[in-house]
Amino acid sequence: MIKTINNLGTTTIEAIEQIGRTFNLLLIIAWKIVQPPYRIFPIIKQVYFIGARSMTVILISGATIGMVLGLQFYNTLERFGSVGVLGSAVALSIIRELGPVMTALMVVGRAGSAICAELGIMRISEQIDALECMAIAPDKYLVAPKLVAGILSVPLLNFVFNVVAIGGGYFVGVILFGVAEGSYVNGMIDSVLWSDVRLGLVKSLIFGLLIMLICCAKGFYMHLGKYGSQGAEGVSRVTTDAVVISSVSVLFCDFLIGALMS
Amino acid sequence: MKCTLHSENDYDLLELGGEIDLHYSPDLREAILASLKEGKPLLIDMADVSYIDSSGIASLVEGFQTAKSAKLAYGLLKISDPALQVLKLTRLDRVFSIFDEAEKFQAQL
Amino acid sequence: MTTSAIEIRDLVVDYGTRRILDDISFDIHQGEIIVIMGGSGAGKSTLLRCVLGLKKPTSGHIHMLGTDICHAAREELYELRKKMGVAFQQGALFTSMSVAENIQLPLREHTDLDKNTIQIMTRIKLDMVNMLPYENLMPSELSGGMSKRAALARAIIMDPKILFFDEPSAGLDPITSAELDELIIMLKETLKMTIIVVTHELESAFAIADRIAILGEGKLIQIGTPEEIKNSQDDRVMDLLNRTPRENNMDKDEHLSRLTQDNR
Repeated sequence: MIKTINNLGTTTIEAIEQIGRTFNLLLIIAWKIVQPPYRIFPIIKQVYFIGARSMTVILISGATIGMVLGLQFYNTLERFGSVGVLGSAVALSIIRELGPVMTALMVVGRAGSAICAELGIMRISEQIDALECMAIAPDKYLVAPKLVAGILSVPLLNFVFNVVAIGGGYFVGVILFGVAEGSYVNGMIDSVLWSDVRLGLVKSLIFGLLIMLICCAKGFYMHLGKYGSQGAEGVSRVTTDAVVISSVSVLFCDFLIGALMS
Repeated sequence: MKCTLHSENDYDLLELGGEIDLHYSPDLREAILASLKEGKPLLIDMADVSYIDSSGIASLVEGFQTAKSAKLAYGLLKISDPALQVLKLTRLDRVFSIFDEAEKFQAQL
Repeated sequence: MTTSAIEIRDLVVDYGTRRILDDISFDIHQGEIIVIMGGSGAGKSTLLRCVLGLKKPTSGHIHMLGTDICHAAREELYELRKKMGVAFQQGALFTSMSVAENIQLPLREHTDLDKNTIQIMTRIKLDMVNMLPYENLMPSELSGGMSKRAALARAIIMDPKILFFDEPSAGLDPITSAELDELIIMLKETLKMTIIVVTHELESAFAIADRIAILGEGKLIQIGTPEEIKNSQDDRVMDLLNRTPRENNMDKDEHLSRLTQDNR
């Protein structure tokens, strides 16, 4: 009994420490990034890594989700005789909710895990110490480009996802089920407002930063957490943690942002 | 770092002195390359060099390579002990043409 | 009168309730090669990390070239680090860059030198460590010995005043190890570097050291010239030098209960 409470206490303290470190990292980088030297090329490299490499997965999942939505909405709307609003339903769901969230989750799996593992390995093989001893600030050199790249790429990937998903819904609704093309497209154009687009944009910007921040912090500060001395196994555990925590954070923030911006 | 260029009859003499490190080696490099551009052979007097690091050595090496491509004679004169030790460490004492009298360099031209 | 490159005073490091370093004080003279030795768990790595500024001690001071690194601002520390070179135990080369790019990194970050100059400097240092043919290889393509040599080239690229070497001979064959020893001595004599080597290879230590510092259980047991250490009367030092296994004073009953205890 006492042991359980003990463990609970330890876990809570660790969790709070980690959250503190992560937030601290964000502040440090925000401060340093506005000072020279300005390294643009690493940011471009990271945008390629995060963005271009995730493109395939985004295209596939976008199309699939769009088609699933088309299918399910059609099913439901048909019962109420309102298939005309299929276009609006699909578009709004994608732009407001599924686009930002699914994009973020795909990026976590594709790029976030790789980045966490990379930083974790650098940490345990003393490469980050080597940077420190060369008077190169490792947080600015390694982490900052990834954060900036996250903020840049995730909204762009989100846009691609949205386009493909709406196309997927179109494919199912109009082509497969014969919904009038006009009603799909016009319904969409009429009901999607700037506030919807803005919501999606804000979400994807925040998600982009959030997932990069969590994945980077987990790998970068691995040595301060409980997996610090576990070598390769520790890296794999920390990466799994990072993926789970980023994903859950995305879902939670999704609700928070939605609630605050309504 | 002291770095002064004298124009002799058939060659340029670059007098070096003091400490040549990361801060001063770019100036040395420029002086060497500028002189070689004029198309005259170059002799570098290193008697007063108290310290030279690898950036300084690299400038000397680049000068040598440039001189070679332009088919100009290039030599080091009276290398101070500290400088010679560094050259020996990098095995460059066998690469450069080293003279202990300016006349010997002149005779070679 | 030798001036001190590094002064360590009353250094204490605790991990929770465990005391890893207990009141360590000694000087490192400019231009000397000092070898820090000790058994496993004696605190060598922790001491090294403190002197490098990677770890803040629980208490104490470390003065390097005039600055107290335990209490210095980050900018001061970074300025100091530009005069230091560190060769880590596993090499710690950056895996996304070639050997040459690894070595050049400090030059590209901290100087405005022309790229030709940087290339020649890189090659000079690679030649010093006999790695010139391998300048375009990636770190993953190097053997253990090659990684260490590349790491050394990176450590000395800016001609540092102070060079740190963490276990240089670990994992090297005797010939490469001897070549490395020779190089260390040459670096000290020609470039007047102060060199700190952490190792437990006795032969290398006695071959290169001007002085040897022996740590044991967090304390500085003895520091002196190789001669002084060889003639030491201290039990712990003699055990280390003679490679005597640690004694196992066993109490029969205690040992039995240790083996059979239910430890849940």
